[in-house]
Amino acid sequence: MSKLLEIALGLVTGIGGFLEAGSLATSAQAGASFGLQLVWAIALGVICIAFLVEMAGRLAAVSKHTLPDAMRERFGIRFFTIPLVAVVLVSFLVLASEIGGVALALQLATGIRFQWWAPVVAIAVWLLLWAHNFGLVEKGASLLGLVTLVFVVGALKLHTPLSQVAADLVPTLPKEEPAKYWFTAVSIIGASVSPYLFYFYSAGAIEDEWDESYLGVNRMVAGLGMGFGGAVAIAVLAAAAMVFHTRGIQVDQYEQIPLMLAQPLGWWGFILFVASLGIACFGAALEIALQIAYLVAQGFGWKWGENIKPGQAARFSLTYTVAALLAGLLIFTGIDPLKLTIFSMALTALSLQVTVVPLLIIMNDREYLGDNVNHWVANAAVLFVSVLACIVALVAIPLQLLGS
Amino acid sequence: MQVGQALLDQQVIDRNCEQMGKVDGVVLELGKGKPPRVFTLVIGGGTAARRVHPGFARWLVRWRRQWGPKDDHPLEIPWSKVLKIGVDIKVDLEAEHTPALAWEHWVRRHIIGRIPGA
Repeated sequence: MSKLLEIALGLVTGIGGFLEAGSLATSAQAGASFGLQLVWAIALGVICIAFLVEMAGRLAAVSKHTLPDAMRERFGIRFFTIPLVAVVLVSFLVLASEIGGVALALQLATGIRFQWWAPVVAIAVWLLLWAHNFGLVEKGASLLGLVTLVFVVGALKLHTPLSQVAADLVPTLPKEEPAKYWFTAVSIIGASVSPYLFYFYSAGAIEDEWDESYLGVNRMVAGLGMGFGGAVAIAVLAAAAMVFHTRGIQVDQYEQIPLMLAQPLGWWGFILFVASLGIACFGAALEIALQIAYLVAQGFGWKWGENIKPGQAARFSLTYTVAALLAGLLIFTGIDPLKLTIFSMALTALSLQVTVVPLLIIMNDREYLGDNVNHWVANAAVLFVSVLACIVALVAIPLQLLGS
Repeated sequence: MQVGQALLDQQVIDRNCEQMGKVDGVVLELGKGKPPRVFTLVIGGGTAARRVHPGFARWLVRWRRQWGPKDDHPLEIPWSKVLKIGVDIKVDLEAEHTPALAWEHWVRRHIIGRIPGA
């Protein structure tokens, strides 16, 4: 495939794939509660994930190792069990959140309660993975995911003051409800810096047999893809700020969120919101279910791959099967998908250190990267955001739990 | 000793480049007055579990008596079978015919293989 096409495809994936249950719910809630003030949290998250994705791609291109491979090899199985268990658990909760997101989109479209949709969605996710043509599905989902650009249209039609958006790229202290402010900030960062994104990316780079000639493509895709994706998340926050915050409406139900597009765009706004939510969450659910299986299989040295017949990689297939069905079951119990999503995102931020620190150690190891080890700027940026997120999460999560 | 450490947890592939598992253990040969030599590479869940925690390994052994494949025992690969050490360790075996894939076969036969389309 030509490199230009690769970059274009990466951009589409970045834009169409960035928004999912987590970034949608956290951005909407942030906009409703705090107006444009939390734009900086999205920006920080985007900077961090862009660096992490770039690193995962570079590791694959130079050392030919996926991230779990390198982690187990470098630190041994004893240490490896910590990120393995943490990432599988967090990813599982995020997977359930995505299935919840699709189920809610279906509820909005049909009026039938989301619980009843959860098993249907889980089976649909599983079926597409089982049919082992994930490559096609992934590209289709990213392309369809471009529908999320409707949030940009919505935010512009609502006359979002762009100068204010730019001004709020600089963090400011909360004027009210500090506990909720920091908790929301942490959830936003967690939503942007979901580990599944870079684990998944590293597996893709290995499957596409990247070598060092792809380092430029990798940098472009990571930087531009995540950057444009982040812009869509900022548009969600802005639309929510203009529709809800200006009227003093708090968002605590998924059912309220469509209003932020229905208000500027009318009936079509509602339809496109439902489509965006459903497609974005479904695409993410596919990736996360697969990523859980990748992580386990790569960690234990099993055969893995997106285009292998299930019988040829039985343990790998069993892993995504179990993950998808259990996640569907969790939503079927009637757990509130919005609460679950926000909570999973905060938990992601809290657990970030567990994967980020070992990744940084590997990325600075010449045995893996040769002369392509990290620049200090990359180390500093990632360390700064992840440590900040972890500290704020440690303080804000207990406060939030006590508060509610 | 350092050689053993370096080999641990590396990916093992067979002569057809099929993934077999990770180096879960290394058996060293100690000779009088000679430096220790790598004798065999071990692939086996129990071996890996012992390196995580001995208690975890004991729990795993008990659990496996009720459940899972009967032919599941650690695979010891003699050093002479090692073909190449690169990104992965390539060995002169066929993964399908070794106990390294006992669980893979068990899952295939009992669960995945029973679902249509596998």
